[in-house]
Amino acid sequence: MNAKDNGDMLLRVEGLVVKYMTDAGAIHAVNGVNLCLRKGETLGLVGETGAGKTTIAKAIMRILPDPPAKICGGNIYLNGEDVLRVGEHRMRQIRGNSVAMIFQDPMTSLNPIEPVGRQISEAIREHASFSRREVEEHAKKMLEKVGIPRERYGEYPHQFSGGMKQRVVIAMALACNPELLLADEPTTALDVTIQAQVLEMMKGLKEEFGTSMIMITHDLGIVAETCDNVAVIYAGEVIEYGSAQEIFDSPAHPYTIGLFGSLPGANKNARRLKPIDGLMPDPANLPTGCKFHDRCPHATRQCMKEEPTAIHLTDTHYTKCFLHWR
Amino acid sequence: MGKYILKRFLWIIPVILCVSVFVFTLMYFTPGDPAQIILGTNATEEMYEAKREELGLNDPYIVQLSNFLKNVFLRGDLGTSYKTQQDVLEQVMIRMPYTMKLAFGSVILSILVGIPLGVIAATNQYSWKDNLSMFAALFSVSMPSFWFALLLVMLFSLNLRWLPSTGADTILHYIMPCVSVAVGGAAGIARQTRSSMLEVIRQDYITTARAKGMKERAVIYKVALKNALIPVVTVIGMQIAGMFGGSLVSEVIFSIPGVGSYILNAITTRDYPTVRGGVLIISICFCLIMLLVDIAYAMIDPRIRAQYEK
Amino acid sequence: MSSQQNPAKKRKSRFAVVFHQLKKNKLAMGGLVVIILLVALAILAPYIIPYDYDMQDYSCILSGSTKEHWLGTDDLGRDILSRLLYGTRISLSMGVLIVCIGASIGILLGSIAGFYGGRVDNVIMRFLDIYQSVPNILLAIAFAAVLGPGLTSAVTALGIASFAGYARLIRASILQVRGLEYVDAARVINASNINILFKHVLPNAFSPLIVYITMYIGSSILAAASLSFIGLGAQAPLPEWGAMLSSGRSMMRDYPTLVLYPGIMIMITVLAFNLFGDGLRDALDPRLKN
Repeated sequence: MNAKDNGDMLLRVEGLVVKYMTDAGAIHAVNGVNLCLRKGETLGLVGETGAGKTTIAKAIMRILPDPPAKICGGNIYLNGEDVLRVGEHRMRQIRGNSVAMIFQDPMTSLNPIEPVGRQISEAIREHASFSRREVEEHAKKMLEKVGIPRERYGEYPHQFSGGMKQRVVIAMALACNPELLLADEPTTALDVTIQAQVLEMMKGLKEEFGTSMIMITHDLGIVAETCDNVAVIYAGEVIEYGSAQEIFDSPAHPYTIGLFGSLPGANKNARRLKPIDGLMPDPANLPTGCKFHDRCPHATRQCMKEEPTAIHLTDTHYTKCFLHWR
Repeated sequence: MGKYILKRFLWIIPVILCVSVFVFTLMYFTPGDPAQIILGTNATEEMYEAKREELGLNDPYIVQLSNFLKNVFLRGDLGTSYKTQQDVLEQVMIRMPYTMKLAFGSVILSILVGIPLGVIAATNQYSWKDNLSMFAALFSVSMPSFWFALLLVMLFSLNLRWLPSTGADTILHYIMPCVSVAVGGAAGIARQTRSSMLEVIRQDYITTARAKGMKERAVIYKVALKNALIPVVTVIGMQIAGMFGGSLVSEVIFSIPGVGSYILNAITTRDYPTVRGGVLIISICFCLIMLLVDIAYAMIDPRIRAQYEK
Repeated sequence: MSSQQNPAKKRKSRFAVVFHQLKKNKLAMGGLVVIILLVALAILAPYIIPYDYDMQDYSCILSGSTKEHWLGTDDLGRDILSRLLYGTRISLSMGVLIVCIGASIGILLGSIAGFYGGRVDNVIMRFLDIYQSVPNILLAIAFAAVLGPGLTSAVTALGIASFAGYARLIRASILQVRGLEYVDAARVINASNINILFKHVLPNAFSPLIVYITMYIGSSILAAASLSFIGLGAQAPLPEWGAMLSSGRSMMRDYPTLVLYPGIMIMITVLAFNLFGDGLRDALDPRLKN
């Protein structure tokens, strides 16, 4: 690995394993995930609900609820520092400051009994040694940046609409000018018209602040619009990784191909919606071999027994599928 | 907020009015002839009749009721005791400080013990701390407070001789009464605090707070506890009602000359104006305390405030 | 059509689920076992107690534990064990009766409020607000004063004093059920209110109601004991636990067991109901289980 590579590499996740320990046994939520993200780039994490996308993001911030969640292995390097091995004190400096997160449901991610402005101020106060007035002024500026009048600083979450609340959450996340923004399906809970507005605003702010971003979504439209690179997640594994163009133009894994088939309008050749048969495997009871084999139209006996490793199709594009080994 | 408090305060007036009517009616239908209670059994029929006339007992119900309400609300006169001929309001007010000290002491004690215990249990769920405090709480809710009071007396007065068993002169006198009344309330508050803390800790905004980089202590006490307090305040209100009852009994056990023992004594001697007056005054105090509880409620939860500010 | 049959089926299987949940909860099962034992004791008391509860034996006063009197005798030479066991009968029936009185008034009032809505609802709710602004025990004391001291009046007083909670519970669940489709369907086929109440509302309100009742039997027993303790409940020679405590008080310096035993009985009984109620609540509403 050369020096230049290391220089603009912001985040590297290596072999991350997360399990949820329950009475019924371990749930294998994330199984050896590798990701990397350069400064200024946006990486899309794409996959169905329950594939482990949110768990990966929360693991990066180390805010998984423990118990039941346990990070069982792997490294997460942020600017070369392994955040899984730093102390809680240092981690608090990273949280909200270097890395910030936007959550899926704006209805529930704000404290209902605290004015929104103060919730933004809290984030600033944790990380900057401003005076009270400076903190408040900065928070008001952040509100304006996300298109909320500064007069609404003292209002409570119940006085805001869903889209407005998500703007507040975004303002809170960007308040300390983080290097990395984890956006966990930031528009899923919003109306379609509001979705576009919020997404547009996020893109603008990302440019303005020069923030790198991990965009978690199951909406390929959003991926196409915002992401430089894409990781397709299935049953807690990255099964295909590449630039957005590579993934869209030449998807390699049958699952990715299936996903595109199930997206109306993304692939103009597909006339009909083609949902993938079957369900994601139960993460408490994962199948042997390739996790996708029971839904895969190309599955062979090898797929049931052996786990495919990554095969590089180009320098930047790899997939975990035996189809490409042959 | 001011508007809310005013509205809530004005609501007390019809409540007190209804309570007065209620209490009066209750006592009106109580069997027993007041004239006989006052004069004893040895008087002549003429004397009884004269007494009844004097007390206005021969008037129809509605006239008696309106006289009573007029006296209470326009003149602040709760009548005189059948037995001692003393002014009831004056007598109740003399005893009020004792009851208030006992009730407030118990309520404050139960809050100071109950909430931290609930938080500790919730933040250490399933640990020995959690199990121990919740089992103790369950025991305490199931225990008759008067029995606990007697156990305390046996231990601290009769055996160890540390605390006086009766009277109300010094703060030492209030320790056992307050503890015995507070223990049930504290247990109820601890149980509610634990369960609502556990509920709140799972909420998304707790994750948001952690993601901001807030200290765990701040997340628990500033964000989680404040939210969890909303149902706890309701329970505190309910517990206060229970503790009021407990303090009535406690007054009897520890011979505290408060309103509770005054009312109970009046019941056994069938001194109805005293019962009536005592119940009325206690109800007014209780209303005022519940007003405070409701204000606390609105102070914590802006959504409640918003409902009333429209 | 199928919605008519489904709830019944669902309820049956739900009962199985609830019971399965309950069985896993050792504390709740312990509570249930104790309750069953106490009920058996209450029923069998007159036949199994070694002495009559009011049999006085002046040759054997305040005896302490002996072979003849396992828990000793009181100041009138009455066997304490017999009195305690017989007391189960009194306390349990008081608890159940208080709840029955409170629940029937409460359900009636709550149903009226919930079904008629509008002004009727408003009046009833304001009435409940006022009613609840007097502490429960004070209400009970006032009622007991009117009715005169005694077992019946204590039960009546505590029952009447406690209906507000049931009324609110039933009203809330009627309002909830009224929003559901299948009740509209029932209205369309002209079912009467009573019918809707028994077929739809009560089954729907069943879980919160059963938990409330279980817990309330416990606290009613406590309240009844308190009333007896201050002399407004059961009268001598009835061996009500609160009354026994009260009469043992004057001798507690020298004979602490006179105070200890009745208190322990009260506590075991109330604890059993609370444990079972807790477990029932967790089983009926898994969301609440933490």
